[in-house]
Amino acid sequence: MSREALHESLSAVMDNEADELELRRMLAGDNPELRATWSRYQLARAAMHKELIEPRLDIASAVSAALADEAAPVKAQRNGWKGLGRLAVAASVTVAVLAGVRLYNQNEVAGPQLAQQAPQPSISVPQTSQGPAVLAGYSEQTEAPAQAAADGAPVERWHEERLPSYVRQHAQQAAFGNGSESALPYARAASMEER
Amino acid sequence: MRVLPLYVVMGGWLSMPALAADAESWMARLAAAEQKQGFTGTFVYERNGSFSSHAVWQQVEEGQVQERLLQLDGAPAEVLLVDGQMQCATDDLAAQVREAQAWHGQRLDPKALSEWYEFREIGDSRVAGRPAVALAVVPKDQHRYGFELHLDQDTALPLKSLMLNEKGQLLERFQFTQFTAGSVSAEQLKPGADCNPVTVNRREANPTSPWRSDWLPSGFTLLDANERPSPASSETVSWLSYGDGLAKFSVFLEPLRGALVEDARSQMGPTVAVSKRISTADGDVMVTVVGEIPLGTAERVALSMRASSEQAQR
Repeated sequence: MSREALHESLSAVMDNEADELELRRMLAGDNPELRATWSRYQLARAAMHKELIEPRLDIASAVSAALADEAAPVKAQRNGWKGLGRLAVAASVTVAVLAGVRLYNQNEVAGPQLAQQAPQPSISVPQTSQGPAVLAGYSEQTEAPAQAAADGAPVERWHEERLPSYVRQHAQQAAFGNGSESALPYARAASMEER
Repeated sequence: MRVLPLYVVMGGWLSMPALAADAESWMARLAAAEQKQGFTGTFVYERNGSFSSHAVWQQVEEGQVQERLLQLDGAPAEVLLVDGQMQCATDDLAAQVREAQAWHGQRLDPKALSEWYEFREIGDSRVAGRPAVALAVVPKDQHRYGFELHLDQDTALPLKSLMLNEKGQLLERFQFTQFTAGSVSAEQLKPGADCNPVTVNRREANPTSPWRSDWLPSGFTLLDANERPSPASSETVSWLSYGDGLAKFSVFLEPLRGALVEDARSQMGPTVAVSKRISTADGDVMVTVVGEIPLGTAERVALSMRASSEQAQR
């Protein structure tokens, strides 16, 4: 039985989405690839919910390393410094833990955006990075791109003048242009109109 | 004590293929349910940089499907569809739709889809306070995204849909928070005052274009094409729409006429936009691929676009 499958089943059980029979069935399955894939899905979902199933950063070893580094000077120092030394250890442990959590979350959240490379023009459809962060995701669509277009080189402006229109055309045509009726493409199209 | 549905009990000793068959029968139920069942509900939609809530009312009477959708937060985007044809819409929501294909009934074809996706039953779940069954729709290659679908046990309608990329990262969430099956009153289907009547030219799909693609991910076919004025110049933009029955992408081609423009790419949740410059006998053209497909696939499609006339000359 692989570790991943165990994690997956554990998480399903933890999520109250699996019963014992299902757990047994899952563990008895003969498709390790599917199981591995699903385990990754679970992990990503957990990360979205900021629940760590499997801490990827070895915080424990970072903590031991910090303790090891600090242990020697603490011994060499006089009694008066001992307390301070412990404080320093505690502080560096805290930093290690906080930094670890921060990095982990950033990795997960930034994942889908990796494709968006810094020097390339970004599209004016709402991104949280634009405009005041009062309402996350509700950027001021009319002002931000205009400003960016004025600042940006003509090369970038070419895309900024077209991409939002193309994206909306794609979304709206998918939602309303082919006689389907489904709430999901409608919601996608509506999300492109937010401002 | 939970009451176990029969298929879960059966699953204890039946092999995996039986589970796949179960998932397929759920997909078939879903395909049949979408145009048969009246319901009312509210749902949320979430993707990178956007979160919104919506209400939906659907009524089926004598084979006619009426559906009203209304955004509940921010601008009240609204649309009323009858048999998939827009009757009215708020200004921005449908500004880009000028013509629509005639309705041909069933939209989802699980049998055709099973060639490109594998359906698996994951187990029981609960959405909007209702018992549901969770299915994994796993792509068979790297050219499309996977889904996790939660279907209502009672009606087989999708109560929750998560789109996941190849790393299992969540790209978008569609999820009912409240759902009631049953008929809807005429009053509830009445659109608001800002829902302006829309006249959209109805026509059959026209999958012909002066452009063609040298390479397409398997299963994707040309669904429709047309030509429109560019949003930013006097040029004409060719538009082509491709789909595999679940995922869709659009290709836009605009002549550059010597303009110096670099390639670009961007991602908004599930939707990627990739612009690539290609050379043709008639000068350089900017190809922009927009759709719910992986970035690499979109890039490859963009680079494979050719003028149909070039093929004829060879």
